[in-house]
Amino acid sequence: MVTYIIRRLLQGVAVLICVSFICFVMFRYSGDPMGALAGVYATAKDREQIRIAYGLDKPFYIQYVHFVARATRGDFGNSYVTRVPVLGLIVERIPASVELAVISAIIALSLGTGLGVLVSLKPRLAINRLIMAGSLAGISIPTFLMGILLVMFFAVYLGILPPFGRGETVKIGFWRTGLLTWSGISSLILPVVTLTVYQLAVLLRLTRAGMLEVLKEEYIKTAWSKGLSPRRVIFKHALKNVLIPVVTISGLMLGEILAFAVVTETIFQWPGMGNLLLKSIYESDQPVIVTYIILVSIIILSINILIDILYCFLNPRIRYG
Amino acid sequence: MKRILLAFLMAGLIVAFFGLPVNAGTDSSIVIGEDSGPITMDPAGSLADVNMSMMSNFFDGLLQRRADGKQYPALAERYEHPDLLSWKFYLRKGVKFHNGNPFTADDVKFTFERLKNPKCCSEFMDYGSQIASVNIIDDYTVVVKTVIPDPTFDQNLDILFMMDKESTESRDPGEVGLKPIGTGAYKMVEWIRGSHVKMVANENYWEGAPRIKNVTSMEVVESSTRFAALISGKVDVISGVPLESYDMLAKNSKIEILTCPGRRVMYLALGNKPGTPLADIRVRKAIYMAINEDEIIAKLMRGQAVPATQLAEPAMVGYNKNIKRLPYDPAQSKKLLKEAGYPDGFEITLAGPNDRYIQDEKICEAVTQYLTKIGIKCKLDVKPKAAFFPEVVEGKHNFYLLSWMSNPYDYRQDYSFALYTRGTEKGYGAWNGSGYSNPKLDALFDDTDKIVDKNKRRLALEDLNKKVMDQVGVIPLHIGVNTLAARKEAGIIIKPRPDAFVVFKEIFKK
Repeated sequence: MVTYIIRRLLQGVAVLICVSFICFVMFRYSGDPMGALAGVYATAKDREQIRIAYGLDKPFYIQYVHFVARATRGDFGNSYVTRVPVLGLIVERIPASVELAVISAIIALSLGTGLGVLVSLKPRLAINRLIMAGSLAGISIPTFLMGILLVMFFAVYLGILPPFGRGETVKIGFWRTGLLTWSGISSLILPVVTLTVYQLAVLLRLTRAGMLEVLKEEYIKTAWSKGLSPRRVIFKHALKNVLIPVVTISGLMLGEILAFAVVTETIFQWPGMGNLLLKSIYESDQPVIVTYIILVSIIILSINILIDILYCFLNPRIRYG
Repeated sequence: MKRILLAFLMAGLIVAFFGLPVNAGTDSSIVIGEDSGPITMDPAGSLADVNMSMMSNFFDGLLQRRADGKQYPALAERYEHPDLLSWKFYLRKGVKFHNGNPFTADDVKFTFERLKNPKCCSEFMDYGSQIASVNIIDDYTVVVKTVIPDPTFDQNLDILFMMDKESTESRDPGEVGLKPIGTGAYKMVEWIRGSHVKMVANENYWEGAPRIKNVTSMEVVESSTRFAALISGKVDVISGVPLESYDMLAKNSKIEILTCPGRRVMYLALGNKPGTPLADIRVRKAIYMAINEDEIIAKLMRGQAVPATQLAEPAMVGYNKNIKRLPYDPAQSKKLLKEAGYPDGFEITLAGPNDRYIQDEKICEAVTQYLTKIGIKCKLDVKPKAAFFPEVVEGKHNFYLLSWMSNPYDYRQDYSFALYTRGTEKGYGAWNGSGYSNPKLDALFDDTDKIVDKNKRRLALEDLNKKVMDQVGVIPLHIGVNTLAARKEAGIIIKPRPDAFVVFKEIFKK
């Protein structure tokens, strides 16, 4: 197990180096950073001076080596647009994104698997068919439409939920949380629903499909005939075996909504990481984009390693060695 | 049954908690939803309109520009322009920065010299590099010398915001970009990036304390959300009223829409490299006359624009009211093309951004269709501004959609950036990516810099402007309208400004 984790970590480092290199190349050649750095009124001479001040006159590989050397010390440089350290810019956005993503992931996972199991037990029941139809809608309605409809109904028409923002936040250490005030929690509802619907629908369908298959297996029939309680049969014997793909998918989705909930964050003006990424791409703020992608890779890699470890608990037959 | 009752009870509780009437602003406070948020709190960090707009609340320049577009004294009570290179400023006494430091000549010198530093102020390099020296005569008198005669030096002084030498030097540059310390009418309370800026009135402001005491500026980028924020009463005012919801807002009796002509002139730039069709004045006129600007304004801009006749807008020095648009006349266009030797047209590519100006991509498409009608095979090359603008600067395109807004309210800037021949020792023409070149006009332009008398200089610029348009140096399209929308019940008296700045000290409540 330990050697496995160490091996995964080493692989992770290799992946990070590749990711950072590809990012660096991509953004170096996808446009001149001088567009972001020099203002509208810069003359050719001003541009040259700025290029030298930022070390952009040096060959590409030297720039990359400098970048990596500084990055290993935790210094990712300054944003070209805001002129403040990039790491701080991204880190201050993490709480907003984490609260949104984690709450939505918890709801999606619990409701998704719960409903999935429920539906699979009596697939022909009218209400269960309705749930399945609803899940199909959940998968197919685009996020932006969902968000706008929710805003129009609950914020404009009914006027009971705020249309955007995080509401009042409380700062505990470096963590700025919206979970401790009513306005913070009410602000969370619409974006969480927008973000959850798709994941919920996917997990529901995944659980249902898995359950339907597993419930036909011989060992489930044996379990029933042994006279085990329905709870034990369904949850211990059936669901546990279905959970492996469900956990894999929800882990992947957690990483995705943590880092790339761009649409939801834009509609609700949620001051999270996705919003920062979009803004930085518009402004071609290369240091922010590159650092962002590297940080996101670290987060996604860690989530995946955690999930691999989770597998062992779900299915003791899985051993890493 | 019990469960259903419980559910109803819960629902009622939720509504009671969240459904309390949301009052955006109380008596002396307002909440505004803006279409973009500030970029940095370093007043020399960004030239973006939105950033300078925000900075004008925390900082003051030596001069200030009011909503009428004219300059008034601010931190300098008066100034003189004794010779072509010198500018002498008499500073206001008794002004204090937000941290209590007094404002003196040292701060002026520091602010101007800081503009030369590419690390902090790369966007302001052009302003910094034209300053040769700053001499302190006494604590409240400063003489600034420019490198070359610049008749418009004073015109920029409302956006060169004065910073506190002591606190700017002693703080980390990153910190300077986060917490503004100026002399302005408002002090910043909190800035959550991507969300909002909160500020309170500076009760010791030299012009008198502003009437609105608490301001919250919310950043709401998505236009449908901004619309929802206004309707639901979460904000009192929004800037940048989206075209698509304009009609809906105009019909709403609770909402008031305020407009004023903007300053940004949309135009088509076209090069005149010898040997290309565009070098022929008849072809340039043909393209101009093929464009149905009234239709663009009515259909694409939904009436929220006025036709432009030239690169300058009416508030500017050098605006020539005698210049008229060429009439829309596709038959005449075809005739001109024939005369120029292109009876079957030619091939050309129109470039433009698709995420910068209102309806930019649609305008490009419309122009392409107008040109196709007169037989010119026009291809379209639109892309995000992040890719498009560098290409313009590099000179990759000879026919493109762009816009210009002169910060110094002077045609000199329009001409020197967008029309002056590139590659001369003067280094002008940074945005003349089409490579337009007319040495005769350039010489006329150089002459205007030598005129000290303001009135004579204005006439010379107006004359130059006329000659440029006679040559169809650019094809002007339209000037957009700036809009604000406010909830009537908030009782806010606010006027949109031509420069689209939102200056909170100008706002008050009934």
